[in-house]
Amino acid sequence: MDIITLVFWVITVIWFIFSIIKDKPKTINAVKMSGGMIKGMAGEIIAILFLIGIILTFIPPETIKQFMGQSNAVISTVVCALVGSITLIPAFVAFPLAGSLVNSGASIIPVVAFITTLTMVGVVTFPLEKKEFGTKFTVVRNSLSFVFAILIALIMGVMTWV
Amino acid sequence: MGIVKERIKNYKLLAFVILTYLTLAIFMPDKAFLSFNNSLYYVKEMITIMPVILLLTSLITAWVPKSTIEKYLGKGSGVKGAIFSFLLGSFSAGPIYAAFPVCKMLLKKGASISNIVIILSAWAVIKVPMLLNEVKFLGSEFMIIRWVLTTISIFAMAYITSKIVKRNELPIEETEHLSSANVISINKEYCIGCGLCSKISPNHFKMANKKATIISQDINANELQTVNEAIEKCPAKVIEFKSETI
Repeated sequence: MDIITLVFWVITVIWFIFSIIKDKPKTINAVKMSGGMIKGMAGEIIAILFLIGIILTFIPPETIKQFMGQSNAVISTVVCALVGSITLIPAFVAFPLAGSLVNSGASIIPVVAFITTLTMVGVVTFPLEKKEFGTKFTVVRNSLSFVFAILIALIMGVMTWV
Repeated sequence: MGIVKERIKNYKLLAFVILTYLTLAIFMPDKAFLSFNNSLYYVKEMITIMPVILLLTSLITAWVPKSTIEKYLGKGSGVKGAIFSFLLGSFSAGPIYAAFPVCKMLLKKGASISNIVIILSAWAVIKVPMLLNEVKFLGSEFMIIRWVLTTISIFAMAYITSKIVKRNELPIEETEHLSSANVISINKEYCIGCGLCSKISPNHFKMANKKATIISQDINANELQTVNEAIEKCPAKVIEFKSETI
């Protein structure tokens, strides 16, 4: 276990003990709520975890390296950013999916672009956002998020090469 | 029939994956086995991280005083407002669309456009328990660098958006308030299906198809408190209680 995970565990456990002592029903209600949310996503989580296996079996690492590797970084980054914008899967499962691609030789640039647009840019939720905040705000926010996602990805790529 | 259809829609990805596995098991059993084995590693990792994410999300929901934070987001809140917006987004649960009604409410209370952008973006990308998930699968260095860059980007985007979009360009006015006295209503589009309302106030709310549904509009004086609690605790702020005719 790495240090950050360990720190999180320690904080969480201490906080939980404190929480139970201070207000048991409140704590239990909150756990039930988060449990309910995770249960709601369970179908998708299981589906994506098992989809990763299929992807790794049928798409050889060489192919992943070829399309998402460093030689193709610019095109694959834009494509991954677009895919991230239109898909709506919980960020929760985006990380194992991203991890599996990086382990198979994908460059981190497209992977970062995918994770960032997946969560920040919402093509599917565009109508909802437009209804609440108007067209201009929604277009500006989503476009900026898309551009910054690519910037973040490129900077991360440069930083990890150095 | 409707319910069955709805179920299939909810689980279409899972149904697709199961069908793929079944097909593979028949035609290429070795590939099915290999795929299953490949996934097992990720399933195991997910199971080890799940309890801490679940607990941390719960603790944040229970103890982070969101209503206190929300008070500091009004007009002229400046740097403090921006930081509180960032914290509010980071300590929230649920997908980005769950943030829409929350932000709408804050906007009505006077939160600035840049703070709304900060909340929405932080809500989307920076969730404290998710950072842990990111460390697990992509490493701590990856997580820290991405977090720093994303945080800088969020503040930059907030600034740019506030320069381009003006407050009067947002639809802030009320549109549909013609309800009569004492009515609970749920904005189902944004319900994240956590089921908290049905646990706090089981006489009035029930979960159906992963969405909260109202089962009774009769509220006596004793129940008023539990209904109000359900409204207040709802993480996506989708329940409204209109106690007077508007």
